[in-house]
Amino acid sequence: MAIQTASLTYAKWEELAEGARHELTVGPLTRTDFVRYAGASGDFNPNHHDEIYAIRSGFDRPFAQGMLQGGYLGRALTEWLGPASLRKFRIRFSAQAWPGDMVLCKARVTRCYEESGEKRVEVEAEAVTQRGDVLIKATATAAPQG
Amino acid sequence: MPLDPAVLKREFPPFEFRVERGKIREYALVLGLQDPVHTDPEAARASGYPDVVAPPTFTRQFWHENPGNDPMPHLGYDPKRRLHGEQEFEYFKPLVAGMVLRGRNAIASHEEKPGKRGGMMTFVVIETRFTDEKGELVQLARRTLIETAAPPKAEG
Repeated sequence: MAIQTASLTYAKWEELAEGARHELTVGPLTRTDFVRYAGASGDFNPNHHDEIYAIRSGFDRPFAQGMLQGGYLGRALTEWLGPASLRKFRIRFSAQAWPGDMVLCKARVTRCYEESGEKRVEVEAEAVTQRGDVLIKATATAAPQG
Repeated sequence: MPLDPAVLKREFPPFEFRVERGKIREYALVLGLQDPVHTDPEAARASGYPDVVAPPTFTRQFWHENPGNDPMPHLGYDPKRRLHGEQEFEYFKPLVAGMVLRGRNAIASHEEKPGKRGGMMTFVVIETRFTDEKGELVQLARRTLIETAAPPKAEG
């Protein structure tokens, strides 16, 4: 993968209004993605890579770590608002993502305000599959860096 | 299983680790982050950071946690009924490579509620407080760990 040398451009607070949206689609997920995330995070729960273990635990096959999807949603937010823009990020896990799934991350500004001397936004976000299953729901507070 | 009161009162010692460039790069590449501030120190410096910037979920790592410093293994949860229900982060300063983070885990809250089909559900929130070399707060991370209710036992 080529590494870019120029940083991304981020949204400016002045240009964001309630209802402003951002999307990022990732996938299709592979078992290799789960294994790479296990190595990056140290989460070696066998349900995420060991087919026989996952089946014995009552699942059809291995599934993604919830924090992998949480990471994708975090990526969607920082690529939109800036790498150090987040002040709070709260993720609620609701469904499993399986190999072959697409992960559609959707974020929407719900409030623009000033606090602690910063221009901030509140954001509601979710990650859903191509079937429409909601994998995670999240809320975030950010100070856009554009 | 009811939570052990001794675990709720127990204090867990801090753990320390250096935030490494290579580990940030690996984490960013797994997630496909396009922004070079996570992978290229020159790009990070050009954007005003002292070194590459950690992605926002980076501190939820298992590498530095062990039964000596983390309450999770002591909760007595049945692994088959254990869920990571929520994860929350609060950010106080950018996390960049080269920083030495000190983390400390504590049980922030706990609750038991009746399950919809009988039995009890348990909710425990573990808060990790991350500070830098100066003792200043960098991040607070809170994970909500749920033990779902055991199915009602058959009679006999």
